[in-house]
Amino acid sequence: MGNTRGCMEQRVLFFYANKVKPFESAYSIKGEERTVMQAITVENLSKTFRVKRKEKGMRGSIKAIIHPHTEEIRAVKGVTFTVEEGEMLAFIGPNGAGKSTTIKMLTGILYPDGGRVEVLGIDPTKKRKQLAYQIGTVFGQKEQLWTHLTPNDNFRFFGAIYDLSECETEERIEELSERFALKDFIDTPVRNLSLGQRIRCEIVASLIHKPKVLFLDEPTIGLDPVVKENVRELIKQMNREEHTTIFLTSHDVGDIEKLCRRIIIVNDGQIVLDDSVERLKRHYQDKRALEEIIVDIYRSEGDG
Amino acid sequence: MLTAAENQLRVCFLTIKYNMMREMVNKVTFLTNICFMVLNNASFLVQWFILFRIRDEVGGYTLREVMLLWGLTASSFGLAHILFARVFSLPDLIVKGKLDSFLVQPKNVLVSVITSSTDISAIGDFLYGMVILCICGPGVSGFFLFLLFTVTGAIIFTAFGLLLGSLSFWFLRMDFLENQVVMGMISFGTYPDGIFKGASRFLLYFVIPVGMALWHPVHVIVNFHAGMFLAVLGYACALSAAAVAVFYRGLRRYGSGNLMEARL
Repeated sequence: MGNTRGCMEQRVLFFYANKVKPFESAYSIKGEERTVMQAITVENLSKTFRVKRKEKGMRGSIKAIIHPHTEEIRAVKGVTFTVEEGEMLAFIGPNGAGKSTTIKMLTGILYPDGGRVEVLGIDPTKKRKQLAYQIGTVFGQKEQLWTHLTPNDNFRFFGAIYDLSECETEERIEELSERFALKDFIDTPVRNLSLGQRIRCEIVASLIHKPKVLFLDEPTIGLDPVVKENVRELIKQMNREEHTTIFLTSHDVGDIEKLCRRIIIVNDGQIVLDDSVERLKRHYQDKRALEEIIVDIYRSEGDG
Repeated sequence: MLTAAENQLRVCFLTIKYNMMREMVNKVTFLTNICFMVLNNASFLVQWFILFRIRDEVGGYTLREVMLLWGLTASSFGLAHILFARVFSLPDLIVKGKLDSFLVQPKNVLVSVITSSTDISAIGDFLYGMVILCICGPGVSGFFLFLLFTVTGAIIFTAFGLLLGSLSFWFLRMDFLENQVVMGMISFGTYPDGIFKGASRFLLYFVIPVGMALWHPVHVIVNFHAGMFLAVLGYACALSAAAVAVFYRGLRRYGSGNLMEARL
């Protein structure tokens, strides 16, 4: 058993020895001919954090005051990739792999230490506000809605943030509340909503200004399977109808399988795989579940 | 440019309105907080009434001037905490990585952050200041000067809080220093400046901006002096510019965070 496992890991490492595989090649195999517009371009992106270290106990604390010791953690190490307009991409990796840091650099929350980022042709470090009009973000672990207000009031607030007129906001709320089935609770304070209802409202709030790129950081975290499925369906529908580019991070393989055609796996701040979900699955002839494949890749890269 | 400013103001207005709505959810707490703050401030004046029955002036101030000083301190502090309360908890936002939701909005980060919270008891402070203004009756020009200095005082309080709070981008536990110094401004600012000599006077004029926020304005209201008037305005602008520069410099070091948080 152990031997088989070792062979399999070697196979993964060998197959993905070249690591970054341009997604365009997958299209050329299928012979599709179309102009590819890049929604996101990332070149050699890197980010280092300085973290304080101290020895254990009171003695360590005193020592740290006299001789503070900091350590550099390279969270993202020269990441390079592109995302096409209208594409749904899964950007995944184990905890601490650097995926949230990357998303935060793409959205202008964090300043990169090196490399180049362009989202819809805009550099987030230089034109953060201009970019913010074009993108939407949903952080599943962080709530951006005002909990004492109703979703309706929240959406009006977000409409004002994105400089929409009251009339435009009204129309958009009508349209999205229809699509996301919010009618029953749109006038209930957010604090009284269930988690599933809240996440739907969070997504609607991030879509109020018709963003061209939507960053979803674990949008289905903590949801039951039925609600998860609903949320996925809505995201898919939005991508289909509004041609929104979706940049998704999730630990839920169901999100990846049901939403994304392409997957980028990061580990230890580097891209270890960039390919289509289909080809990744095809590569494993034994037809194992995608979750197992991903776990194997995490482990093999971790060992390496 | 004008439209952008208008839109920013619209969002600020909405934010403050929603902050108020949040506080009004509990009517009893809302009203008692305001009333008790007015009473709390009023109780301090009792000791001054007693003191001025013994002496005609303290540190060069008469009772009316002390009342003006108290009123201006309360209204400036109140206005700063009604509009920009979040600036006084900025270290918490920085250290715990809570600036993310402001950074993904197409609005000025600093303005969005500092207007994102309201201290409801500060309404009591502000009202108290206005009541004192009516009681003291400093004349028409004095009335408008008082209102103007309430604004400059609030700006200086906010800018100083922002300056100290922004140091959290570099150092931990700046919340403690910020709270101590801002509360120190209130404590020292409610005493006549004439009682402070030497190093303490230097400290309160040039390190902690009590002099420019409160003492100079009271002198100008009582005896108008153009140079002093312009110095206060200039100081408020310069301190604000310095604080904004430090905030944006520090923002480049912002490390975000992954704590599970709700916007309450």
